[in-house]
Amino acid sequence: MQQLRNTPFHERTSALCQPQNWRKWAGYYVVGSYEHTIDREYWAIRNSAALIDVTPLMKYMIKGKDAANLLDRVTTRNIHKMSVGQVYYTAWCDDEGKMIDDGTVARLDETTFRLTSAEPNLRWLMMNAVGFDVHISEVSDSVASLSLQGPNSRSVLKRVCESDVEGLKYFRLMKNKLGGVEVTISRTGYTGDLGYEIWMEAKDALKVWDALMEAGQDYGITPVGILALDMTRVEAGLFMLDVDYTSASHAWIEAQKSSPFELGLDWTVALDKPGYFVGRKALEKEKKEGSSWKMVGIEIDWVGMEALYAEVGLPPQVPGTAVRASMPIMVGNVQVGYASTASWSPLLKKYIALAHLEKPYYELGTDVRMEITVEHHRKHAPAKVVKLPFYEPEWKKK
Amino acid sequence: MKTYDTIIIGAGHNGLVAAAYLAKKGKKVLVLERRDMVGGQVVTESFGENFKVDSLHAGGTLRPDIIKHLNLASHGLVVDTVRKPFISLQADSKHLVFDADPAKAAESIKRFSEKDAANWIPFLDFMNKVSRFVHSANAAIMPRLPKGFNASEGMALAKLGINVRMLGGKNMMRIIRGIPMTADEFVDEWFESDIVKAAVASLGLHGFTLGAFGAGTGYTLMHNWANRGGMSHVSVQGGIGKISEALAGAVRLLGGEIRTNAEVKKVVIKDMRASGVVLSNGEEISSGNVISAADPKHTFLSLVGAMELPPEFVWNVQSIKMRGSVAKVHLLTDGKHGIPDGTVVVAPSIKYLEKAYDAAKYHQISEKPYLEVTTSGNVVSIHFQFAAYKLKSGDWKTEGAKVEKIAMDTLAEYFPDLKPSIVNRKVLTPLDLETTYGLTEGDLNHGQLMLDQFMFMRPIPGWSNHRTPIDNLYLCGSGVHGGGGVSGASGRNVVKVLK
Ligand SMILES: Cc1cc2nc3c(=O)[nH]c(=O)nc-3n(C[C@H](O)[C@H](O)[C@H](O)COP(=O)(O)OP(=O)(O)OC[C@H]3O[C@@H](n4cnc5c(N)ncnc54)[C@H](O)[C@@H]3O)c2cc1C
Repeated sequence: MQQLRNTPFHERTSALCQPQNWRKWAGYYVVGSYEHTIDREYWAIRNSAALIDVTPLMKYMIKGKDAANLLDRVTTRNIHKMSVGQVYYTAWCDDEGKMIDDGTVARLDETTFRLTSAEPNLRWLMMNAVGFDVHISEVSDSVASLSLQGPNSRSVLKRVCESDVEGLKYFRLMKNKLGGVEVTISRTGYTGDLGYEIWMEAKDALKVWDALMEAGQDYGITPVGILALDMTRVEAGLFMLDVDYTSASHAWIEAQKSSPFELGLDWTVALDKPGYFVGRKALEKEKKEGSSWKMVGIEIDWVGMEALYAEVGLPPQVPGTAVRASMPIMVGNVQVGYASTASWSPLLKKYIALAHLEKPYYELGTDVRMEITVEHHRKHAPAKVVKLPFYEPEWKKK
Repeated sequence: MKTYDTIIIGAGHNGLVAAAYLAKKGKKVLVLERRDMVGGQVVTESFGENFKVDSLHAGGTLRPDIIKHLNLASHGLVVDTVRKPFISLQADSKHLVFDADPAKAAESIKRFSEKDAANWIPFLDFMNKVSRFVHSANAAIMPRLPKGFNASEGMALAKLGINVRMLGGKNMMRIIRGIPMTADEFVDEWFESDIVKAAVASLGLHGFTLGAFGAGTGYTLMHNWANRGGMSHVSVQGGIGKISEALAGAVRLLGGEIRTNAEVKKVVIKDMRASGVVLSNGEEISSGNVISAADPKHTFLSLVGAMELPPEFVWNVQSIKMRGSVAKVHLLTDGKHGIPDGTVVVAPSIKYLEKAYDAAKYHQISEKPYLEVTTSGNVVSIHFQFAAYKLKSGDWKTEGAKVEKIAMDTLAEYFPDLKPSIVNRKVLTPLDLETTYGLTEGDLNHGQLMLDQFMFMRPIPGWSNHRTPIDNLYLCGSGVHGGGGVSGASGRNVVKVLK
């Protein structure tokens, strides 16, 4: 039987996790929420500093003369344009231009990169490495990672890091020392807020946790589980593999696959880079012909929803966590798509969703209706296609 | 810089056939061959004084329509019309002789089985139909299954279907059933004598790393029968190299160019499109199309480079089974070797063949090998199976001597005068096939002709129509459908798909 594993932070996280609502993430137990309701954790991300154990991310070290060539071949971005210390968000596709996974690539030095992904990709990397002078190793277990997110996150790090993080720009990384331990800090995250991810040897995990918790006390540092994270990533317009799209490597049918254009990642597809990269021909074709559907944000109209609930004598109900379910989206009596994650945004005071809509309904401003269940009856609440992200604080990139 | 319509990598017979047809269409073609001579495996070479011989493929002929189209007779190609006998050696020297005259052959078979003798002529009649099927299959360009299949590709298959149907319903079924059969099962449907069966079944093993009990040797038997046009080899006056010389003559007369000592190092690729080649000496030559007549593994993994190709494609190419296991031993004698004229085999029983093959399975050299021997004047040429390309112990820099010894010892049991008659000798190991003749892993057919690597799965599924993931780069050697053996089919076919 497959056993779920504990992350190197388990000693701390388990002691704090009151409701015991553990979640499975890539073979690990992680905390869903530390408290019985998730409001405090949600607000920590948006108002102070949240400490999130993101160790279950898959991590690969790619080293060697051809490391950049390999990543340039596998991913859709132009890796040769990356400078040392830079991080790219990227998708990677099969040769039909359908997404396999997405993650970040960090250039640690001229010939060393770290790639993160949601699912195992070692075989895919190896398959692509034929003929390249490169060494690929999986470090998912040996490297632990913490995400420190929220407007106070910089202040916390400034207090505890040996080198100043002040100058660390959005999607850049630096080597640093924290709690007496060597770490890498990247200004990245999954919340769309000011935030950092801290990468360390698994054996040093607790030292880093403790140092951050101590330094963060005055800044409202709060251990946060993945349920609150899930709400904020929807606000940030970030999708999730296996929730909002299916990897081409395990889709059952063509229709389940997604291209980066369909997921709104046009900006990550460097069709201007030279030479072959996986999926190039298909992506060029899609770019030319246009995508048949796209993932967009929709905002459900509060007044419209109120009216549907009023019919049965109820005030509008909103879910307490992000809803990962397929919710049909209609125009007239015709289904034109579906939402894959919906969430109440406590900050925006809006019910929002990531939706997959057919052409031409994905255009901004299109009026659609999303299915909701009102007292066990299917209803369609009016909604509108809006720009992503739903929420982007000015301090995110500053 | 001079540019060409098409550059062809490799002056094997298939590359030359493609070049000649293109030149005939008025295209500017350049054939580049790494060796100092044209022909690939279809060559006659000298290994010493008075030691000139068909180095590899013993005798053979191109498809008659190709010989005619390219007017090869006018370039000096004379194919022998008299078919020599196929002789299966017996310990008591009362050899089984399959004479070209069916009645005479039946007479010899009679000594082993009356029933088999009676079946000989019906069998020949069936094998003629088989040959028609194989040639018509090889003339068809295989559709790209499972992907990319379109109506025009389906036409070729439909035509093939009609051709097979025209052989008669019963024959059609028998042929289709025969494809996945073992050679043993195939001959078992016709003959009862193990000696007769083994002699015929040996054709299914010739050139392949498969045993008599291997699935698909029914097909390889049919394939070799069709290419030879029977059991024995037909010889070419002046040596098989004349085929290649005639082809080269045709190419040049039609305005094509051929350069020997011109090894291609890289196919030049820009934006997933081939636009020429770079030679080992650094010279770059540009062209509209590039056709590789070299094997697919060499072509894609060395000349193109995995980096330029889709990962699944690379994975499939890496998985092509090469597995060479043929060695060749040439003996120059004083003429008193005692071996009769014809195609002479050591294939005494089905089990003997299977055991010989076991050696290949275990990465060894057969102690009791299956041999096919041809003579030309004083030279005795021995085709030796099995000698695994990848040896479990020892290496091919030294093991050639062992092959030589086993070959001579085995033959000497039947021909005691052989050893004293030997004046000079030359062994060609699977490694020589790779280094001298450019065959990856010493595989004669640029990839085994196994059931999962034939027809629309040759060289790999989805890419059976000579095209490649690189625009303007095509394949035409033995590694594509139509290839395997000497007929010119794949060289002929590529010209039909070229833009
Ligand atoms: C001993 C022996 C017995 C055989 N018996 C049979 C049989 O019974 N049945 C059967 O089906 N087949 C048999 N074959 C196989 C048959 O001879 C081959 O399938 C056929 O000759 C291949 O022809 P080709 O033109 O496709 O390729 P080849 O003759 O292999 O020609 C390829 C050419 O490309 C050249 N080349 C390779 N790389 C480069 C480069 N980078 N640059 C320039 N040039 C390059 C090579 O030097 C070579 O000249 C036998 C082969 C041998 C050796």
